[in-house]
Amino acid sequence: MSELKRTPLYDAHVAAGATMVDFGGWEMPIQYPEGIVAEHLYDRKHCGIFDVSHMGRLIVEGPDRLAFLQKVLSSNAAALVPGRAQYCMIPDETGGAVDDAYLYMFTEDNYMVVVNASNTDKDLQHFAKYLPDYDCTITNITDTYSSIAVQGPDSERILKELSGSDFLTGPKKNDLNELTMEGRTVRISKTGYTGDPIGWELFIDAKEVVWLWNRLIELGAKPTALGARDTLRLEAGLPLYGHELGTDHAGAEIPIFAVSLAKFAVSFAEEKGDFVGKELLLAQKEGGTPRKVFPIALKDRGVMRAGMDVYRNGEHVGWITSGTMVPYYNFDADGNILDTTGKRAIGFAYLSGDVTKEDVLEVDVRGKKLKACVVSRHMRQDLPPFGKAIL
Amino acid sequence: MLYPADLKYSKTHEWVDVVSGVATVGISDFAQDALGDVVFVNLPAVGDEVVAGESFGDVESVKAVSDLICPVTGVVCAVNEELDDAPENLNKDPYGAWIIKVKDITDEEELLDAAAYEAFCAEEG
Repeated sequence: MSELKRTPLYDAHVAAGATMVDFGGWEMPIQYPEGIVAEHLYDRKHCGIFDVSHMGRLIVEGPDRLAFLQKVLSSNAAALVPGRAQYCMIPDETGGAVDDAYLYMFTEDNYMVVVNASNTDKDLQHFAKYLPDYDCTITNITDTYSSIAVQGPDSERILKELSGSDFLTGPKKNDLNELTMEGRTVRISKTGYTGDPIGWELFIDAKEVVWLWNRLIELGAKPTALGARDTLRLEAGLPLYGHELGTDHAGAEIPIFAVSLAKFAVSFAEEKGDFVGKELLLAQKEGGTPRKVFPIALKDRGVMRAGMDVYRNGEHVGWITSGTMVPYYNFDADGNILDTTGKRAIGFAYLSGDVTKEDVLEVDVRGKKLKACVVSRHMRQDLPPFGKAIL
Repeated sequence: MLYPADLKYSKTHEWVDVVSGVATVGISDFAQDALGDVVFVNLPAVGDEVVAGESFGDVESVKAVSDLICPVTGVVCAVNEELDDAPENLNKDPYGAWIIKVKDITDEEELLDAAAYEAFCAEEG
């Protein structure tokens, strides 16, 4: 096995007492000493910071950069203006996803594509098949340009304090900006993977990222590792490549439109023109997919895990793709956050497309059939500053 | 990491305390630390027969599920039902938060004393 890669924050994670694991070829923290539940709750009520420097950051530049991105990404990159970002898929030739990604246009002259860490090499190989037809280049800047996600209600105060600026980004999701934080240039994006109504992602020169991490902690943020990143995204209903995208439990490719976010990630706009997988994706959009990815909640006591079988009236209808027990804060009748917490078993399932919220489902949890149902969503994200669990 | 000297331990990280023919069983400090946040405990019922070396339930953390392996063979005579509502007690107080009590003991696994168990854990990392 090749040696694991480390982000510039590796020493900070170890010094903080983190449990380090192999995550897609990177030696990354899965949790800090307080544990996943405490990290999740602190993010929801205060502010969590995440080292996302392992994610692949690719710069696409050159005269044909837009045409190339229109070909290999699912979104309409021509709709971007400087200061805006968009979520997209990297479709393959057969209607599935090579990866999901974020496309940023900080400035007029280039684009940044951010991809999943474990897929970076695969994505680059896929892009290389199409690149020769275009006059542009891709530069992998993952090792020299780092990233920290700053999420949760207190993130606004912390970032305003650090930047000395009352204006961080525009108010909309995917708004971008460039700020100076105590003399350092920081790019900032109103995006995140937690579902928190308030949160940003920061990009900074790798040589400055330890400084940024420490300053965020001094101002009240808490390091939050991959374990809580997973429970937060699960509660927020955000898919993860390798679970809700990629291949299913039986090894078949999951079509992109099986994931509900696809409708925001795939554009058939005329100005986009042809792109990889377009015809198949159009057929998926118009004809539906045999199976779909649903948020699922367990009604009986227990915990669902990825790979467990799901039944309806005794008939096998699919699998759990992600699942665990996730903590939440209680709120009073006026919507004020309380100190009391609970926890619930939630997840995603890849199920027959005709499953409805009224269906009583059964999940085979290690030989026991436990009742479950699909839901619209696990959490409300439209009541800032807090994400609020839907129980 | 705590290894109380008055308890015996299994290599699957359960502790056992046999008093007057009744074995009280829980998981060790090492086990709870390795599991992380415990969020659910699947308990047997009073009257269930349990077998040394075999699963008598499971414990779910946020990260994963792990079998609970019974250190003795016998009959379950008490279950710590507090764990239904407060599974995190296994993290907070692993030697106070017992899981089951077993009577009519007819067999037991090879058990380690505290010093041997501590050495065993040090090897496991």
